[in-house]
Amino acid sequence: MKYLTILLIGSMSLMGASTEVVQYMNELSSVAKTENKSFAGFDAARGKEIFTSTHTGKQGKPMSCTSCHTTNLSNSGKNSLTGKVIEPLSPKANPQRLTSAKEVKKWLKRNFVDVYAREGTAQEKGDVLTYIIKN
Amino acid sequence: MKTFLNISLAAALFVGGVYLYADDDEMEHARPAYSKPLSKQDQASAALYKKECGACHMAYQAGFLPKRSWEKTMSGLGNHFGTDATMDSADTKMIQSYLMTYASTDNRITDVKGAVALRISQTPHFVKEHREITQKMLTQPEVKSIANCTACHTKADTGSYREREIHIPNYGRWE
Ligand code: HEC
Ligand code: HEC
Ligand code: HEC
Repeated sequence: MKYLTILLIGSMSLMGASTEVVQYMNELSSVAKTENKSFAGFDAARGKEIFTSTHTGKQGKPMSCTSCHTTNLSNSGKNSLTGKVIEPLSPKANPQRLTSAKEVKKWLKRNFVDVYAREGTAQEKGDVLTYIIKN
Repeated sequence: MKTFLNISLAAALFVGGVYLYADDDEMEHARPAYSKPLSKQDQASAALYKKECGACHMAYQAGFLPKRSWEKTMSGLGNHFGTDATMDSADTKMIQSYLMTYASTDNRITDVKGAVALRISQTPHFVKEHREITQKMLTQPEVKSIANCTACHTKADTGSYREREIHIPNYGRWE
C-alpha cells in the first residue's frame, strides 16, 4: 500500500496524472478523432471555457463546474447542492486527484450532467482534464 | 494492518449508529446487527459505502431507514435528489446489499403521507426530534439543509448523536 502511494505520487509530480488516467485520455483522444475529423489534440484553453462557463444544469438552474470547485483549482471547494467541502481538484495541490480512471470517469459523467444536463463528449472530457492537469 | 484496523473501527462505529439512534423498542431490533461481528466482506462493504455515499454528504447510517427505502434510493441513483449519483453496477450491488443488511427493521418508518420514505429528515421520528429547529437555523450558509447532519451533530459521521455533541452554528450548544 505504501509503495503504491509513493509510486503514484512519483508519477504525479512528473505528469500531473497517473499512467492509468493518461491511458484513459489516450482512449478519449482516439474517440475524439473518429467523432471530429478536424480534431488535433486536447486544448487547455477550450478546457478552461468548459470549466468556467455557466449553463442550465440538470435541475434547470444556472450551473458551472466552478459552482462546486471554485475558479482556483488549488483551493478547496464546496458542493453547491449539499454544502460539503470538496478537496482541491488540482493534482498539484491534491496528489490523490487524477490517479484513478474509474473515479475520473464516474465524476465526469455525473458532473457534466449536473452542469450541462447531458454527458460530455470525448473531446470535451479530454480538454477539461488537460485544463485541470495544467492548473 | 493499521488501515485494516481503521476500517473495522469505522465499520463498527457505523453500525453502532443504529444502536444510538434507536429508542428503547427500536433498539431491540437493532441489537442483533450491532453485536454481530463484521465479516471481512462486511468491512469492505462498509468502507465502500462510506466512500461512495459519503462523497456529496455524510454517509447516513443505514439504520435510519428501512429496506424498502434503500431499495428505492438504489434504483433511482440517476436522479438522486436532482443530481446524478450513479456508479458502476458491481459497486451498486455491493452497497445495496450492505444497506439491506443494516437497514432498520422498524416498519413504522414511513413518509408523512404513508409513502416509502427517501429522506431520513421526513420520517415521523426524525421530524419529532427536530421540531424545535427553526427555519433561520437551517437557512444559514453553515447549515444549508436539515440533511447536513454534521453541521449540528459534530460526531454524526461516527454514528453518534448525543445531545452534548450538538453545536448549532451561530447558536451554540443545545443543552
Ligand atoms: C454539484 C457539485 C459539482 C459540480 C457542479 C462539479 N463537480 Fe466535479 N466533483 C464534485 C465532487 C463532490 C467530486 C468528488 C469529490 C471528492 O472526491 O472529494 C468531484 C470530482 C471531480 C473529478 C474527479 C477528480 C479525481 O480524480 O478525484 C473531476 C475530474 C471533476 N470533478 C470535474 C468536474 C468538471 C469538469 C465539472 C463541470 C463539468 C465539475 N466537476 C462540476 C462535485 C462537483
Ligand atoms: C453526486 C452526489 C451524491 C452522491 C454520490 C450521493 N448523494 Fe445522497 N444526496 C445528494 C443530494 C444533493 C441530496 C439532497 C441534499 C439536501 O436536500 O440538502 C442527497 C440526499 C440524500 C438523502 C436524504 C437526506 C435527508 O434525510 O434529507 C439520502 C438518504 C441519501 N442522499 C442517500 C444516499 C446514498 C445511500 C448514496 C449512495 C448510494 C448517496 N446518497 C450518494 C447527493 C448525493
Ligand atoms: C440545525 C441542526 C441540526 C441538523 C442539521 C440535524 N439535527 Fe439532529 N438534532 C438537532 C437537535 C438540536 C436535536 C436535539 C433535540 C432534543 O433533544 O431536544 C437533534 C436530535 C437528533 C437525534 C436524537 C438524538 C437523541 O438524543 O436521541 C437524532 C438521532 C438526530 N438528531 C439525527 C440527525 C440526522 C441523521 C440528521 C441529518 C439527516 C440531523 N439530525 C440533522 C439538530 C440538528
